[in-house]
Amino acid sequence: MTDAALPLQSQADQRAIAAIRRKNAVWRRILRDPPAAIAALFLIVIVGSALLAPWIAPFDPYASNMRMRLCPIGGTRCPDFLLGADNQGRDMLSRLLFGLRATLGIGIVAVLVGGGLGALIGLSAAYFKRLDQPLMRLVDVLLSFPSILFGLAIAAVMGTGLFSLVIALSIASVPSIARIARGAAQSIMQQEYMEAGRAVGLGDGALIWRYLALNCWPTILIYMTLQLGQAILLGAALSFLGLGAQPPTAELGSMAADGRKFLSIAPHVSTLPCAAIFLVVLAFNVLGDALRDALDPKLRQ
Amino acid sequence: MISFPVLLGVLLIGFLLLQVVPTDPATVVAGPTATKAEVDAIRNELGLNQPLWVQFGRYLGRVFQLDLGRSMISNRAVVDEIALTLWPTVELMLACLVWAVPLGITLGTLAARRRGTAIDRAIMALSVMGVSVPIFWVGLLLIQYVGGAGLLPFQGRNGPIWTADGFLSIILPAVTLGSVFVGPVARMTRTSLLETLGADYVRTARAKGASDWRVTIRHALRNAMIPVVTLVGLQIGFLLGGSIVTETMFAWPGVGRMAVGAITSSDFPLAQGAILILAVGFMAINLAVDVLYAYLDPRIARG
Repeated sequence: MTDAALPLQSQADQRAIAAIRRKNAVWRRILRDPPAAIAALFLIVIVGSALLAPWIAPFDPYASNMRMRLCPIGGTRCPDFLLGADNQGRDMLSRLLFGLRATLGIGIVAVLVGGGLGALIGLSAAYFKRLDQPLMRLVDVLLSFPSILFGLAIAAVMGTGLFSLVIALSIASVPSIARIARGAAQSIMQQEYMEAGRAVGLGDGALIWRYLALNCWPTILIYMTLQLGQAILLGAALSFLGLGAQPPTAELGSMAADGRKFLSIAPHVSTLPCAAIFLVVLAFNVLGDALRDALDPKLRQ
Repeated sequence: MISFPVLLGVLLIGFLLLQVVPTDPATVVAGPTATKAEVDAIRNELGLNQPLWVQFGRYLGRVFQLDLGRSMISNRAVVDEIALTLWPTVELMLACLVWAVPLGITLGTLAARRRGTAIDRAIMALSVMGVSVPIFWVGLLLIQYVGGAGLLPFQGRNGPIWTADGFLSIILPAVTLGSVFVGPVARMTRTSLLETLGADYVRTARAKGASDWRVTIRHALRNAMIPVVTLVGLQIGFLLGGSIVTETMFAWPGVGRMAVGAITSSDFPLAQGAILILAVGFMAINLAVDVLYAYLDPRIARG
């Protein structure tokens, strides 16, 4: 119910409505759900430490010291390395921090690029009725196609490396964001202010940007966050296969692949990056489910 | 008719793969000691100096005759290489579905029947973990603790699944691949079952005195299966991705491992063939899911 529908409400009513709104604000609902609150807190810490990696990492993630090769966690050979050393005697903690930075960075860039493109497709489909069918068929095709195959095909055509990886992950995140953007934009299209905007003579560009996009972006942004977990998981898998980040780059997927050869003598080298990926993706998924429940009143009990 | 543009797109990618490659195929085929004249002769022979659209037409013609070229490394026909790797991949996917889907449906049913209890919460927590875990970690843990202890083989395929050795060697890969699949199936079953449990025909069944579990299984579950079948169909692509990682980890001689090997060793004809067959396989499965749909829900068949 909008304020315009209640022109005669008293100040007390307004205060009561504002209080209910505050009580039901999305972030408050998240905080009332302990797993989601923990996930949010964890992600803030993780993203913070990934951003600050160059300043908080105790050692250079690329400086190798063969005397500390495969030193286990808490080993006497490497008292300064909190999480042991990898197969080249590099500090695991520093590599994990830089690895998180790379993995998260790849995911965020890919979701922003792919999500931006998806949002453009979705908004255009909702605004230009004639484009709706063809664009959404294209999105269906993209959505039905296994995203790892994009990764394989792009790595095959453009060569392996970070650039191909980001492109593959971007393409993979286009279709779901396009659907969300279209859904959000379609409900805005029903609003009277769209017609009002057209009546005062605004062009298509202005209507799409100032009326559609600016009203849809919170929803789109939240779904981009949800997509991030999937992008990270896919990116790590491609890097693990040797099709993404290449060694010696500190990236969690390729670090896990690197440590595979030393599984029996130094399991921490591959277990730590795997666990890091798992926890980050888990946090994104838990938070994502909570956000979806909070945003979708139909699912609310 | 979603498949046609996809197929064309995949063929175009396959063709591009043989075009936009950084290395000149003629030089590679000729070998490092070849003279310029020899390279030119091979380029002519391969038709590499024709316009691109002519080459694409020829490529389509060859694909429809199942001629996908020769591997640059083994020099064997790509079709033969695919024929060798196709069955192990199918075997692995079946071995994964055969345990993961029933387990997922069982867990989902249990969670829906015990909605809001600790059992429900535990199953749903497991399901979120299942979709968040990198599949290669599951594989690494199994290799480390089960394979490393000598309990089960974890390197390669020791024969067809119906032989004892073959069966033992497929267990770890199939468990790895299925582990990421149980969660989504359980979750979808739960959601869908909760919806059907509230339907009128379920109330009717209850009213005539059918027992709780009979109502759940005979009346609700069967109708709840439709979205689950869709999900399984949609997630086949996801499974395909998982099987690429799983095959690579367990040295399983399937199409996915071959594709990754071909890409990392720049064997473009083989990579093109592998990607093509993965895409075609994916589309074939989607078609099969549509048919299964019509069987589960006769309303769809009658249109």
